[in-house]
Parts: sequence; structure tokens; C-alpha cells
Amino acid sequence: MSPHQQIKASPNCGREIITVQAGQCGNSIGSQFWQQLCQEHGINQDGNLEEFATEGGDRKDVFFYQSDDTRYIPRAVLIDLEPRVIQGIQSGPYKNIYNPENFFVGKEGSGAGNNWGSGYAMGDSVQEEIFDIIDREVDGSDSLEGFMLLHSIAGGTGSGLGSCLLERMNDRYPKKLIQTYSVFPDTTAEDVVVYPYNSLLAMRKLTEHADSVVVLDNGALWRIAADRLHLQTASFAQTNQLVSTVMCASTTTLRYPGYMHNDLVGIVASLIPTPRCHFLMTSYTPFTGDRVEQAKTVRKTTVLDVMRRLLQPKNRMVSTVPSKSSCYISILNIIQGEADPAEVHKSLLRIRERSMANFIPWGPASIQVALTKSSPYMQTSHRVSGLMLANHTSISTLFKRIMAQYDKMRKRNVFLNEYKKTAPFADGFEEFDIARDVVTDLIKEYEEAETENYLNAATEPGATESSATS
Amino acid sequence: MNSRRFSSRLEGELQPSDSASNAPSRRTPSISHRTTPLTSRAYEKRTERTTTTARDTMHIRPRNQPSRLNEDKLANNYDSHTASPRLAQLDEKINQRTKAPQLLWKPSASLVEHSAAPLACRLSAPPLAASFPQAQSAPPLQGLSLMEQESAVLDDMLFVFMGFEGQYIHFTDAYNPSEENAKLVGPRFKIAHGLDPSLRDLASSMLDIATHYIAVEAFIDVRSREEFGSVNHALCASMRALLKNYLVLIAQMENQLLTNQAFTLHVLHLHVLPISNTLFQLYSLTQEISGKNETSEDGLDSDDENLGPVELELKYTNPKLSSTNNKIQKGGKLLGLLTERLSYFSGDPAARKILEGLLSDASKPYMAMLNQWLHRGTIQDPHGEFLIREQKTINRDRLDEDFTDTYWEKRYSVRYNEVPPQLEAVKDKVLLAGKYLNVVRECGGVDISKEIQDVPRTFEDPRFLTNISDAYAHANASLLDLLLTTHELPARLRSMKHYFFLDRSDFFSAFLYLAGSELRKNAKEVNVGKLQSLLDLVLRQPGSVASEDPYKEDIKIHMNDQNLTRFLMSVVHIQGMEEGEEILPQRSIKTDAEDAKSLTGFTALEFKYAVPFPLSLVISSKTVVRYQILFRYLFSLRHLENLLVTSWEDHNKVVSWTYRMKDPRVETWKRKAWTLRARMLNFVQSVMYYCTAEVIEPNWHSLMEKVGGKDKHGNPSSRTVDELMEDHVDFLDTCLKECMLMNPKLLKVREKLITCCFLFATYTPLLSRLLCSADKDFAGSEVAMKYLQELYPSARHPVPESHKTYDAKVFQKINEDLAKYEDNFNRHIKILLDALDYYAATETVALSRLCAQLSMASEKGGEARML
Repeated sequence: MSPHQQIKASPNCGREIITVQAGQCGNSIGSQFWQQLCQEHGINQDGNLEEFATEGGDRKDVFFYQSDDTRYIPRAVLIDLEPRVIQGIQSGPYKNIYNPENFFVGKEGSGAGNNWGSGYAMGDSVQEEIFDIIDREVDGSDSLEGFMLLHSIAGGTGSGLGSCLLERMNDRYPKKLIQTYSVFPDTTAEDVVVYPYNSLLAMRKLTEHADSVVVLDNGALWRIAADRLHLQTASFAQTNQLVSTVMCASTTTLRYPGYMHNDLVGIVASLIPTPRCHFLMTSYTPFTGDRVEQAKTVRKTTVLDVMRRLLQPKNRMVSTVPSKSSCYISILNIIQGEADPAEVHKSLLRIRERSMANFIPWGPASIQVALTKSSPYMQTSHRVSGLMLANHTSISTLFKRIMAQYDKMRKRNVFLNEYKKTAPFADGFEEFDIARDVVTDLIKEYEEAETENYLNAATEPGATESSATS
Repeated sequence: MNSRRFSSRLEGELQPSDSASNAPSRRTPSISHRTTPLTSRAYEKRTERTTTTARDTMHIRPRNQPSRLNEDKLANNYDSHTASPRLAQLDEKINQRTKAPQLLWKPSASLVEHSAAPLACRLSAPPLAASFPQAQSAPPLQGLSLMEQESAVLDDMLFVFMGFEGQYIHFTDAYNPSEENAKLVGPRFKIAHGLDPSLRDLASSMLDIATHYIAVEAFIDVRSREEFGSVNHALCASMRALLKNYLVLIAQMENQLLTNQAFTLHVLHLHVLPISNTLFQLYSLTQEISGKNETSEDGLDSDDENLGPVELELKYTNPKLSSTNNKIQKGGKLLGLLTERLSYFSGDPAARKILEGLLSDASKPYMAMLNQWLHRGTIQDPHGEFLIREQKTINRDRLDEDFTDTYWEKRYSVRYNEVPPQLEAVKDKVLLAGKYLNVVRECGGVDISKEIQDVPRTFEDPRFLTNISDAYAHANASLLDLLLTTHELPARLRSMKHYFFLDRSDFFSAFLYLAGSELRKNAKEVNVGKLQSLLDLVLRQPGSVASEDPYKEDIKIHMNDQNLTRFLMSVVHIQGMEEGEEILPQRSIKTDAEDAKSLTGFTALEFKYAVPFPLSLVISSKTVVRYQILFRYLFSLRHLENLLVTSWEDHNKVVSWTYRMKDPRVETWKRKAWTLRARMLNFVQSVMYYCTAEVIEPNWHSLMEKVGGKDKHGNPSSRTVDELMEDHVDFLDTCLKECMLMNPKLLKVREKLITCCFLFATYTPLLSRLLCSADKDFAGSEVAMKYLQELYPSARHPVPESHKTYDAKVFQKINEDLAKYEDNFNRHIKILLDALDYYAATETVALSRLCAQLSMASEKGGEARML
């Protein structure tokens, strides 16, 4: 291949990420996310660059591409089976930034009825159309890094259709990274009654087809909203804002290139040492609810404070019940703002001295840090803010809770009729059983990871077998 | 020489001024009585003197004076002497006695060739009195009365004072007037036997004056030559003026002798006494100057003053010493010597006045040069006497391949042992002022048309030091301004940081993505042109951060032909050399054939950066080499990270890794493999984080603060360009050192670890295939076959049978291999940690951070292995 051919073939230099948002929750989070990205990059509501946004030192092409009239257009595919949320986006303030061809709304407009089976089946039937959009986006990017899927796993569309898409995307683009931001149900007060079914079924797909799952759960989001933002009853809009803040923070190293962590896969690879344990949890501090006056308190934000708070369970965006043996598999702290490396080093030493973070006994056990700048266009009252992406074994307690609730319902065989009607369950409930096995294995994997024998677990039986075979 | 002119011009003036000659009453009566009748005759004679030439030949006395040449001048001179009434009697006597052999002795003189000194005497040395035929010599003194003796000696003294031999006073035999050194030391005189002791004592006490005069005059003649430089010339001119005064006095004495009956040797002595001091000063100065020429190496400088003429003479006749004549005292050294003498004689007002005058005159040309340098940045120094040396052969065209900063450091340099003491304290300032100005001038920043005005002309000027510091401040400010503002040095450095430290590495990721296939090739086969076009493409991407960089055109791809670690090893193993110098010879060192083979595009890639003058002074090739080393190091880490991430992708995506195999041994093996890869990735990322966030970034910030020229309080700090350059090199050296690139042990261990990681990462694809036959159930299963089919799509290369079927040996092999890798990695990381710990405590404190980070990451993993 001559260089010229290659040059023509690649007019853009990217590591681009395509965002697929599925279902009501996924789209709500997505619209918040895009709004915040636009603000951070100085893109106005029409997709044009603001006057002041000249020297950001930022890369917009990871998440945006430029149209012929130089407007910035998100690499986003918006999918829902019912029109309500998408219509909301299409009439909202940022309606003009999206590519109108990237909206997909189910023809019946009826939604998936909070049924994983129907979401999956409908997804299967419309996948051609959806992949038309996705393929077009993929062709429009030169060195696609991967996909980000935003959805919730409790309902029907995000969970079922999302699972379907996940499976197909993995098939179609086996080399591309798939990261999901999955909102898990609040196991104490969830609106959807059948959420344990939907969640378990979706979790199987997440285990098998996603490379990295950022777990957020509604319970924790509401709790944080109440504690941090001083809101007794948080709205979805407010919890979505929390999620979009986390998403933006976790992509800062991609958008504001620094020395390291400039591609998603590098970040994910350092967080996920063994492929099956790829469910990540997040903490973020300090939250400032722009729309909530009470939360605008100025507080001391030294690097140590930030890193200490990130490790506190109450700041985690997942409700887990850590046991004594649960520990971190890996931690990446993304520190934004004016952080002095010396301060970071001191904080790491302090954290280590006080044993504030327990690590797995068998692998690399250190807090990795990525220092990035923050958007010059956003006014913040704090000097340093931090996001922790962590792989923690206590996430298995969330899975266990869901599974326990699933088991409870499954024992009584309630609500199964609705599932029986849908395509995946036409031949019986084998799908449920497989999903349960997969999740059981997953929980087991996490539990084993807490022990020192993780790497030597099978030495004994292996030895006998090898002697037998030889 | 010109006594005739003096005497004729000055005789009128003399009469009123010289009270001694107008006071005949003070003379002894007997003498005045005797000489009175002759005085009128003398006046008559003198009136004719200028016109008569006929008598000249008749009146040539048998003195060793040249007669053929400049007869007129000399003859008149003799005439005036012979006109002295007392001498006339004497002459007659002599003429009577020597009439016959007079014709036998024909003294001759000739014109010597022009020397470089325009005013030097061009007459050859007159014949010595010693060669004068015995028969014609003057009547022995024994036969003369005291009176006659005195008049003869007086007459002789005047000759001797002007540097000639008299009838009774001759040079000592050792003296050879044709020998320059002897002349410079000055002749000794001997007085003929028979002189009355009273006269002899008086006369011999005055003979030193003549010695001094001859020596000083010879000195002037010699030192006025071109090679001695303008300071010497100015000094000689100043001395010549003093000698002129002396000759005037001698002329007055002659007049006295001719007119004043009461003029005695004693009176003469009284008259010449004051000037004898001056001459002594001049003489001892000249002796010191000439003496320093030859003995400056011996460290005996100060002793010269104490040496008697004989010893000095000995010194000069020693051929070994005089052969070192090339070390002549000139320029700054001469001024230094004068100054030193001045302070030595500061208690002696008369000497001080003389020396001050001399120093002031001598420093004028030097000051002119200094001003030219300070205010123009140019050197006009044909004699090489200025304290700054300019090497014209070193020019800035070669700056881009100049690894030793020759241009900046060698083009202008201080002649350290030729700095006048007045400039000693400020010599560096002087050097820098001109050097800076020079650069500014070369960049067209100095208005040369403007005349240098209102600057001190001599060393004594009270504004002398202010002038220098003002000029320095001005030059420094203009060059800093030129660099920082006009040529935007900070922006340049920032751009260098993008390219060499990859601080916004998005462009580089894209470049690697595009150029990966090319870079995988052997370094020799890499198509540099292609890479360059890819780089250009990437840099011009509107989306990339680099596209905003105005200097992206200056970056060029280059393939180094040496392995980085080997190169650094060769650098750190050289000891006792200047840092800048060591790199140069190493670059041209033979490249091992093996080395060249093992180099791939990834390991050989580096950037070249074209820096325009004058920024190339700061970003010199010496510093660019450091940038390149850091770049190659960071790039190797980054490449390794990419490889490990790629193998992570395989571990996560490839079915043979993700499939849950029935054999628990295989599953456990996978966990181990994943963990090892994770530890390697963690290691590489920790090192990268350390090198970038903890080494480069903080050092960079402190450099930028220094470059920005703001101190802690936000005021522009008074900094010099040289400090700036030093800071820049310091910054790079600190980075090199803290990145573990300057320590052979760390280099070695790190290289081994990196190789281990590299081999494991590249082993992954093979492992993925081998895994297909490692498990009984998985081998030959549908998913495995599908995967293998995709791996070997073409019919020509079908899936190897070995991958399709289960083979117990495969697992055994990969298990052993993995254990080897684990072992290797663990061992080396332990060595690295120990080494880091040691060097953090002894050499580079910053290493402790990396040590802490790595030990956190590895201790548990290491423990687990121990269990």
C-alpha cells in the first residue's frame, strides 16, 4: 500500500468512541452526558463552537465529528422502543446537536413493557435498522476504539434490547472494545416489579459480551443525592446528572490528552486484570449540584482529601455490603485540576500507611493515578476533583442480592407468563437457568479473587489429572 | 639623535628659564675666570653653525660617531660641541697627536631595514669606542689637570646621556649594541683610568641615567613594532613623550655647558637628578615588562625588580630563556603589570604620577576595544590583546550538528591570563555582554549606525564599572527579549515537550496506529519518507492538539542506528569527561551488526527538530540529543504498554482465553497468565506515570518558571541568557537521571524487565493458538474450530493439525513457559526494587517514589508466589 492511499483512507485521527444509548434510562443519562460534554468543550446548543472556546487543548473528535458546516455532532446512536424520552430530547435545548438520522424509535411505540424478553425480541427484529445507523457511524470514524452503551438493566428496552445489541455488536465488531454504563436496580425500592428477572438476564450478557461494565445503581445514586446534594427526594434528572458527571470524568483523559491513558482500552486494561472480573464501580468527589444551592458549599479539596473520600464506601455509586475479606482488585484515580504530583505521592503513601484500601493478595496492588486538566470553560469552586474507577470484589454482593430476589420470585414462578410470550422464552426458561449459572460463576470468581489461592486453586486436582493423563 | 634640533630650538628659551646658568656668581671663581674670554667666541660660532658645513669634516673628532650619513645633522651637533671653548683646546691637542692615523679609521653607519615600528631608529649601531685605534684615542686623563678632566668628563657626559660613548667613558666590553637584548637591558659604562676620584664618583653616579635612557629607548623601538599590539604602542608613545622631556633637559645642559662658565659636573648632577628618577622608573618598568616576557612562567615575576642588571643580563644571554620570546607582554597583561606597579609604588608620588600617566595612555586603545565590544558586540583586535578571544572559524552554520556547543562556548572566550586587573571582577560580564550583543546583532537587533558616545575612555574614568554593568544589563535584556519575546522560546519549548515528551500524546497514538505496520519492520527497511508523510498528516489533523502548534513543520522523523540502552550504557560508562563531549564521539561509534539487526522501527524511531538561530543557542543539538533520549525511552514504554494492552485485548476477546474450560488446571493457568500480564502492565504504567507526572512535569514547571523570568514574588528576575541555557540543560539532565537513564545498573535491570514484558506480550498470539489444544473438551470444539478458521482464512495455509487436537504436552509446555516468565519477571523486579531503594538513598531521591509505587504493586504478588 502506498502511503498516499493510506493517507486518503484516514482523514481523521481518532480512537473514536461511539455511544449507543438504549431505553428510557440510557437516553436520559445520555442527553445529560452530551449536554455536559458540550459545555466542557465549549460547544453551543447548535453544535457550533462558542466564541471563547479557542484554546481548550482538548480533543473533540473522540466523541464528536464535524459536519460539512463545521458543526460538532455527537457520535451518538439513540435507541428506544417508546417515543417519550427521545421526543423529550428532540424538543430539548440540545436537540440540534444530534444527527437526526441517529434516532431510532420502535415503530409500535409501545415499548418493551419492562420485559427483557420482549426487549430482546424486538431488538432482534429491528437490529438491521439499528446496525444501519451504527455501521454508518463506524464507517465515519477512522480508528474506532469502541462503543459505550448506556442503559439500565432493570427495565425492558435498555435491558433486553441492550443485551441484544451487546451480543450483536460483539459479533460484528469482535475487535472493538465495548464498555457499558449500566444502571443497576435499587434492590430495596425498585418501581419495576420484575427487575430481578430482567437484571439477571441482562447480567449474563454483560458478563459474556461486554469488556467493561461500569456499574451504577439507583439506590446508591439516590443516597448520594440525599447526602451530598442535600436532596431528600432526588429526581431522575438529578441522579442522571450524577451519572453524566461520572461519565465525563472517566473520559477526561481521552478528551484532554496527557502523557498517559489516552485511549479507553489502556484505562480498562489496567483496571481489569482478569477478564471475568470486569464490573467496575465508581466514586466521585466533590459533587456540586449546579442546580442545588445547598450543595454549593466550598470545601477543602486537597489531593489527600479527594483520594481519601474516594475510598469511602458512602461515596461509591454502587450499594454494596463489603465483607471483611472483600478487597480492591485495582484502582484508578483520575484527578482533575491542579494536582501536584508530590502531593499525590504523599497521599498514596498515607493511604498505604493507614491501609485505607485493601487489595487482592495475588496481583498488582496499587492505586494508579491519572492527572488531567479540567475543562477551562467550566467554573468550579473546588481546586481538585477526583473520580475513582475501581474493581472491587464486594460488587458481588450486589449480584448476590439480585440473585436472591430472582430466586425468591423464580421459586414462586410469578410473572413468568409475560416472558413466555416472548421469543427467547418460547422454548422454555432455559435462558433463565443459563443466566443464573453465569452469574453464579461470576460471583464465585469474585469470591475466589478475595483469597490468596486464586492463582493456585486448581493445582491439586490438576496435578492428579495430569498424572492420570500422562 | 635630534639634539641639534633641540639645542638650536631651545637655546633661546633656555636662557631665562635656567637660573643656574644665569648665575655665574655661584660658580667657583677660578673656573669662571678661566672660561670667560672664550664665551664670546662660542656665541660667534653658534651663529654660523646652521650654515657651515665645510668645517664639518675638519672637526670630526675621533669619536665613534657615524659621519657619512646624516652628516649635516650630526656634524652640526659636533660642531656645537667642538665650539665649546674648553673643548676646542682639547681638540687641538688631540688633532695634533692623531693627525697621521686619522685616515685609517673609517667608522661607518648604515640605514637598517624598516621595522614594524614607524618611529624606531633606523641607524645601525655606531662602532664601539673599543674598536677605535689606540693611537687616535684621547690623551690619557692622567695627563690632564683637574680642570681639563672636568671639562672632558662634562663633554663626555652629554654624549653619554644621549646614548653615545664619550672619549673617556665607554661601554663595558660585555656590551654589544647590535644585540637587542643587551640594548634592552642597557649598557654599563666604564670611565677611563686616571680620572680624579671626586669627578669619577660624581660621573659614575650619573651614568645610570644613560644606561636607563638607552634601555628605555631600545624598549620603545622594540615595543613599537606591530606584533606588540596597540597597548604597547600607546605605552611607547607615552614613554617617548617623557623621553622628549629628558632630551630637552640635556639640550639645556648643553646650552649651559656652552654658555655658562660656572657649569660644573656637580651642577649637571643637580640638574639631572629629578629626571633620573623618572628614567629609573621607566627603566625598571621596561625591565619588568621584558622580564615578564620570559619569566612569567617561572612565578618569579616580582623578583625581577630586585635583580641587578648583571643578573638580568645573565638571564637574557641564556638562550634557553630568550627562546621563549613568543610570550610577549601585551594587551591586558601589560595593563595588569602597569596596574600592579602602580599599586606597588603608590607611596611614591613621583613614580605614581608617571605610572598613572602611562597607564592612562596605555589603556586608551584597550578602552576603545572594550567599548566596541560592550556596545556593538564586535571585536577589532588585530593584535589579539583584548580579553575576549574570537574564533572566527567557528560560525553558526554548523550549529545543528554541533554537539558540544562549540559555537556558544568557544567562539568567544576569555583569555584568562590576559585580563587586566581592573576587569578581573567583571570579566564574565564583559564576555557575556558582548556575546549577547553579538547574537542580537546577528539577528539584526542592534543599531550599529549609532555612534558610541559618552563612554569612558580610560581605566581611571569613574564610570568605568558602571559602563560595563550598564552594557551588560542592556545586552542581557535585549537578548532575553529576543529569545523570549521575538523568537518565543517558551512556545518553542512547549512544542518540544509535545513532540519529545508526548505530553499530549493524541497525535502520537494516531501516528502509531497508522504507522504501526511500517514500524514493525527492521529499522533499515523502514521507509522514512512514508513515516514522515504519515506524521505530517497526523500533525495537520484539525482535531488533534498538535495542529495548533505553529512549529509542527520543524519536526522530522529519523531512524537512529543504535539501541537506546546500549547507547546509554556506552554513555554512562565514560567517566571523567564533559557531559556534552561524551555524546559526540559515541554517536559515530561503530554500530554492531547485531545491534542493527535487532532494531525495529519501534526501537529506532526518533524525532529531529530543526531550531532556527538564535534559539538554537538554547535548544542546541547537545540538548536535542537529550530530548531524543528521553523520547526514545518514553516511546519504548509506550510501545510496550500498547503491546500489553493488545495482549489484554486478546485475553479478553479471543475465545480460547474467554471460554471456560473444563480442566481447572488450564483455568488456573489462565488466571496466572492474566495476572502476570496485569503485573507487567502495572509495572509499565507505573514507570510511565513516574517518568511523566513525577519527573518531567514538575521539572518542566520549574523550568518554565525560570524561563518566564518571574521569581516567587512575580517580579522579573535578573537572569542571564547563560543561566537560562544552563537551566535548560539542567532540566534535561535531571530528567535523564531521575528517569533512571544515567545509571548503568538501573539501565540494565530495566532493560531486562522491559525485554521480559516485551517477549511475553509478543508471545500472547501464539499462546492463544496453543490454548486451543490444551484442554480436552475445548480442543476440536465448534468454537475453537471457528476461531482457528478465522485465524487461517486462506486455503493455502490451512489450520495446523496440532491446534485442532488435544495434546497434553502443550499444556505442560505453556505451563513451564509461563513459570519461566513469572520467575524472570519476579526476579528482576526484585533486583530493580533493591537497586531503586539503594540509589534513592544514595543518589537520586526522586527514585524513592517509583520504588514506593512499584513495591506497593509487587509486594503482594511476590508474596503470593512465595506461598
